[in-house]
Amino acid sequence: MKKVMSLFVCLFLAYPLLHLQAQNTTVPVSGTVTDEKGIPLAAVTVTALTGDKKVVSTTVTDASGVFKLNVSARVRSLQFSYTGLEEQLIAVSGKREFTVTLRAGSRNLSEVVVVGYGTQAKKDVTGSVASVKGAVISEKPVQSFESALAGRSAGVQITVPSGVVNEPPVFRVRGTNSISLSSYPLVVVDGVPSFTGDYSNPNGTELSNSSANPLASINPNDIESIDIAKDPAATAIYGSRAANGVVFITTKKGKPGRVRVVYDGWVGENIAYGLPQMMNADQYIAFKSTAVANNPALTGPSLVTFNYAQDAHGKNVNTDWYHYIYRHGYSQSHSLSLSGGNESTTYYLAGGYTSQEGIIKRNAFNRANILVNIDSRINKAITIGGKISYSDEQNLAAASSGSLPGEAYNTIGLGREGLVLPSILAPYLPTGSYNINGATIGYPNVTGTSIPFFNPVPILDLSRSNNEVNHIQSSVYAQIKPLSWVTLKSMYAIDNLLIDYDNFSTPITGDGFSTTGTATDTYGKYKTWLWDNTAQFDYTFGSNHNLSLLVGNEQQRRSSTGFGINRQTLSDPAYTYIQAGFTINNPPVGGMILGQNYLLSTFGRLTYNFNHKYYLMGTIREDQYSALGVKKGVFGGGSAGWEIAQEKFWTSAGLDHFFSSFRFRGSYGKVGNNAGIGDFTPYSLYGSGIYGGTATLSFPSGSVGNPNLKWETSLQTDVGFNFGILHDRVTGEFAYYNNNTNGLILYVSQAPSVGLPTNPPLNIGSMYNRGIEATVNATPVQKRNFSWYTSLNFTYNTNKVTALAPGLTAIQTGTGAAGAETVNQTKTGYSEGYLWVVRTAGVDPSTGKRIFLNSAGQKVYFQYQPPLGSGQSQWTSSADGTVKYVSPTGGSSITQAADGVMYKNCLPRYVGGWTNSFNYSGFTLDVLLTYQAGFYVFYGTNAGLHDQRVWNNETDMLTDAWSPKNPNTMKYAKPVFGDNTSNGTTIPVDINVFSGNFIKVRNVTLSYNLPARMLSTVKISNARVYVSGQNLGIITKYPGPDPEVSSNGNSNSGQGVDQNTVANARTFTVGLNVGF
Amino acid sequence: MKKNIKILSLLTILLGFGACQKKDLYPVPQTAVADVSAFTTASRIQSMVLSLYGALKNGSSYGGRYVIDGDIKADNFINELSNVFTGYDVWSENPTNSSTAVVNLWSAAYQCINACNLFIDGMNNGGTKIVGTTLAANYIAEAQLIRAISYYCLLQYYAMPYANGNGSHLGVPLRLKGIESAGYSNLARSPVDSVYAQIISDLNAAEAGLPLNYSSAYNNVTRAQRNTAIALKTRVYLSLGNYASVITEAGKIVSASAPFTSPSGVAFALQSDITKVFAPPYTTSESIFALPMTATTGDNPGTQNQLGFYFSPSKGTTTGGTGNGEYSLNPNGVIADPLWTATDKRRAFIMGSNSGTKKWLNKYPAPSPYTDYPIVIRYSEVLLNLAEARARSTNSVDPQAVALLNAVRNRSDPTTTYTVASFATVSVLINAILEERNIEFLGEGMRNNDLMRLQLQVPAKGSAPARNPTDVGYIWPISVSELSLNTLCVDN
Repeated sequence: MKKVMSLFVCLFLAYPLLHLQAQNTTVPVSGTVTDEKGIPLAAVTVTALTGDKKVVSTTVTDASGVFKLNVSARVRSLQFSYTGLEEQLIAVSGKREFTVTLRAGSRNLSEVVVVGYGTQAKKDVTGSVASVKGAVISEKPVQSFESALAGRSAGVQITVPSGVVNEPPVFRVRGTNSISLSSYPLVVVDGVPSFTGDYSNPNGTELSNSSANPLASINPNDIESIDIAKDPAATAIYGSRAANGVVFITTKKGKPGRVRVVYDGWVGENIAYGLPQMMNADQYIAFKSTAVANNPALTGPSLVTFNYAQDAHGKNVNTDWYHYIYRHGYSQSHSLSLSGGNESTTYYLAGGYTSQEGIIKRNAFNRANILVNIDSRINKAITIGGKISYSDEQNLAAASSGSLPGEAYNTIGLGREGLVLPSILAPYLPTGSYNINGATIGYPNVTGTSIPFFNPVPILDLSRSNNEVNHIQSSVYAQIKPLSWVTLKSMYAIDNLLIDYDNFSTPITGDGFSTTGTATDTYGKYKTWLWDNTAQFDYTFGSNHNLSLLVGNEQQRRSSTGFGINRQTLSDPAYTYIQAGFTINNPPVGGMILGQNYLLSTFGRLTYNFNHKYYLMGTIREDQYSALGVKKGVFGGGSAGWEIAQEKFWTSAGLDHFFSSFRFRGSYGKVGNNAGIGDFTPYSLYGSGIYGGTATLSFPSGSVGNPNLKWETSLQTDVGFNFGILHDRVTGEFAYYNNNTNGLILYVSQAPSVGLPTNPPLNIGSMYNRGIEATVNATPVQKRNFSWYTSLNFTYNTNKVTALAPGLTAIQTGTGAAGAETVNQTKTGYSEGYLWVVRTAGVDPSTGKRIFLNSAGQKVYFQYQPPLGSGQSQWTSSADGTVKYVSPTGGSSITQAADGVMYKNCLPRYVGGWTNSFNYSGFTLDVLLTYQAGFYVFYGTNAGLHDQRVWNNETDMLTDAWSPKNPNTMKYAKPVFGDNTSNGTTIPVDINVFSGNFIKVRNVTLSYNLPARMLSTVKISNARVYVSGQNLGIITKYPGPDPEVSSNGNSNSGQGVDQNTVANARTFTVGLNVGF
Repeated sequence: MKKNIKILSLLTILLGFGACQKKDLYPVPQTAVADVSAFTTASRIQSMVLSLYGALKNGSSYGGRYVIDGDIKADNFINELSNVFTGYDVWSENPTNSSTAVVNLWSAAYQCINACNLFIDGMNNGGTKIVGTTLAANYIAEAQLIRAISYYCLLQYYAMPYANGNGSHLGVPLRLKGIESAGYSNLARSPVDSVYAQIISDLNAAEAGLPLNYSSAYNNVTRAQRNTAIALKTRVYLSLGNYASVITEAGKIVSASAPFTSPSGVAFALQSDITKVFAPPYTTSESIFALPMTATTGDNPGTQNQLGFYFSPSKGTTTGGTGNGEYSLNPNGVIADPLWTATDKRRAFIMGSNSGTKKWLNKYPAPSPYTDYPIVIRYSEVLLNLAEARARSTNSVDPQAVALLNAVRNRSDPTTTYTVASFATVSVLINAILEERNIEFLGEGMRNNDLMRLQLQVPAKGSAPARNPTDVGYIWPISVSELSLNTLCVDN
């Protein structure tokens, strides 16, 4: 408000001045200032500067973004500045007309950044903070804003794990910082720490097969800015929760001035890409018959045959299962906002609706949301305001996609069904009814073996696994400024997440068959209230000593309640709802939830700078948390900065002609992590049991706590520098960081004879993340009609686990329910979740057997079915199968436990992005490339694609499998029907591990601003149309659909696995943005 | 100045708000009881006593797999499904350190033992005051009895029989103190005789502390009373080859002549119809101790642990089958014994397949979720324990031994009546007693223990090899996680 006032004052004072100067040899110049989207910007300060940067005159733009100014000969350049947007300096050099676009980049050192309980001018921030303006993530076809952050800033890794809508991305700030707790950064929305994670799976048990990311409640169009605090100087104010970084989300507020109405809408289409090419019916029959012939046991009564089935027209069935599982998903989004205000009160009111269909049939996300922000200055001293945000989200799915954590091996996993189902089976019988055989698909044309998979079509038609989220985020605050340098503020906020989970499995076939229909409904209620009180003192003395002190306290209380019912055996086949007639009632597994926690904090922050040249900052926070044994923890950090470009020696050396700014900074601090710790972890608990119908109080059904449990703590160091070159035409940032995390909470196995029901949590592990970050922004071309802005960021991070616990030398992280397969092992000396597989040495050219390597590196040959009566073994030390293999420990086979090796790192070492923006008259072309490198992905799907059971196979098997005619291929063993070992299904092997390096064309948007003259006749102040594409192309050697994948979702120690996961979608959108 | 005071007071008010919610830092769990509050009320203590039985009833232990393994490891059953999760390796006599059976029984038995230890400690540290000394003595005795059974179970699979070296071989780690936190992993295995000494000591203490009886037949069977401890001692002493003590203990609960019954405490007697013992309500005077099951989740053995699931055929293959057909009866096993007459009532437990010749044991016919009670001990065992002890200690065709054997045989097979004249020598009598046990307790987990305590060969069956007492694999290896986490524990 003050700023706006001063602008008016400036304008008032400047006006007669301008007139005076006009009589001197001045020339009138004029122009239009818009933002990136072409929306005219009102109240942009335009300053005429001399060659030595002295202010000659200033003005501001009017409501249509137009300014007029008379400039004298000594004016060399015009400076355009607007809070929150990048400042621009444009040389006059005889020009009369200016068209200026102010960009919402992160490049402007004069911007304001959110630092926790307040803001700071970016130029005064000594911490490492990456800022992303809301404009760059709005209009993106994502469910929640984080997914659009990939490649936008250094130090931030975003991996979209699958093509299931609204699955939270893997979000890491400076690496993976925990093993048992969460590594997700703390997300603070308008001052309130938000829920994060996937609430379809709130306590490690999936309550529905559709994801629920609580951050999806925020319409990306409502976000003003995102500030990502990365180092202890920036994060320590959040003390015990800061170790993973802190992400500040600021929603839009109204600006004084006339009412602005903005409509933003787009429609789009999602398509699947990179799906493996599966065998058609002819290929399947021929290939599988060969495999049967290669199996000496399958003769006579054991013979397995595959035959053609006929459809209703008498034609041979040749089913493309993708056709029944995938779709072109259509999406739309509409947002309407109304904002404005006067000098005392501003408001922002927005409503949005989006409906986004995933590439899997029936998987969709619908959201309707409302946001109101109001701020009102009652008088000189008192301001009150608040926010109401309500969102209703529907996360829809028919059944498991097989892509969310724990789902990888689900029989109905739709992604997997599309791959494994033989093309000779039809979804429908010729009669038109479903082709089913009890729970599984019907296979009358196959003899001698069974097909255990489900027919996905009736399940897609009849089952559902949905959740509906009601999310209320609201706050009120009062702020009192009793003196100009004192600000007292009190804020009370609630964040309530209410979720209904609704599941139904049809009794006709599939999972619900054995129970004759199952419905499971659960209701979950997750509530937060928060109250913080702060006092801020800003004082300048001796004209150059700027001192600022913040003190405050905060209470945050969270509670969770969940209950529901599982009902089985429908009394009428037409029923599908939980309220209908079922005969069996059970409590829902994982749905009975009751918890509470409380965090009580006191904090302070002191910042000091001398003449904006030397900076010092100290932060301290004491947290007390109910869910720990040792309740109290003290965290803090300190930082220093030196703006060297302000020094005399710098200017006298003439460096200021080149460097417009150059600042060294460094910070050190101790921060903690408590995300994801159970509410009652310190307690040893006796649980409920039952003995012959009588209730018992049982230690074996209880859990083991640890009264000495503390926070995981991270000691973090950060040093770096920022610079601006040529009037900030080029800016850059460089940082080195070293984060040592200690006291990692591990659930340490005790000898079973101790008799503990669960493993006690101990603060015992340690790891580090070290790396460098670099960002360079530049405007290589800045012409009247054409400009090119580019920004490149680079992050190198190395993660290493440095200590686990005695008795816990390795932590294995399984993929799929109950860890159906384990390829991630965390071990001291390696990065977290290292891929742990058995090595192979190709295929023996003489026999076509897969050659495995045992722990000692010796070759071991595998044959699935030794010739009958030959006395040969499956595992042999000789290629001819005669010498039975004996392992170094006396075993007779290769096993992962004995022969698996720590094989490859799965955490990306290099991540980053490259943004480009080209402007030409009304057109803007934005191109964002993202990359990740230095990591490997276990393509578990690949094992299934080459499994020699009834599973359908990828067509490369036809050319790349060993056969007498093709003996020298090293890729796939001789196909023997039933063999699920040579391909890596039963034992994870190195042939399915691939480099995950990729460069992705993440986003390309071409937009056009309709000329203002044309629009003014229809009372439209701006209009912009655009076409956009996401995931348009990918450069990678990875053979699967997309190396940006995670079957285990956001898991810390289960990254780098692609097991039956539905890959990311490619999206095209067409949109319109209109402002009135 | 005035203004400054105003500001200061405002500030104090604002920052002072934080202080009032400190109790929220110490939340009380509402769905479980913290260890510190466990021994604070009489009802919690009573619930905890019952939980010890619940721990013994674990599906990996006496609620299922301990019993099942006692049969399938021996010679009367044939594995049908080659599934290692349902004991294929146990049956094949080659389980590894990481086999389901090896790992799960070890951990379930020790969880039960630790729960008993914690309970005994908790009673001594204040629990006794809450319930009074009489009830406390009863409760502690129950815990001691359950701990004794758990150690006995462990010895049967993981240690050499006592007869081999008079208990000098390695037994199992002997833990007698409750543990609730990390740091106690390392403990060496005690010798077999020390563990048996603890078992006897616990059972003696239990005999002294247990009530004579409860107010209902259900409680008399599902909870330990004095005679339960005595009955168990006859089994333990028989395993030790201490026949004199078997006779002493059995003498307390077996009358001198038929019809045999216990003179004091709960009056045990044989049922005239054995099938009644295995049918609801499972609380006959013959059942000394059985573990109750109900259909409620968590109150039955759970997936792949249920007796009926293993032994009963599937309804697809055999009318009336309620199980999964995991193990059929070995046609060359005890069912081939010609002396086990066709009219013997115990043959009623055997059912044939609809087609084919496979026979199945249907002693546990309750369908899913399998609520038949596993029997820990019943009176006919006490009678046969005494019979064997008498025959062996007198080394003669002891008339009381014959009378006891006859009591068990004759009630199911009225056509056979044993007299002293039926047995030419004492070894004929002993073999008859052993064979009677084999018939009587088929599917009750006794067979392997009987072979082991006498150091007999475990015969071959189907494709599974025989195991002699000196063979590797005669007893099980030690759980892999124990070996890796308890550095003082050595493998068999």
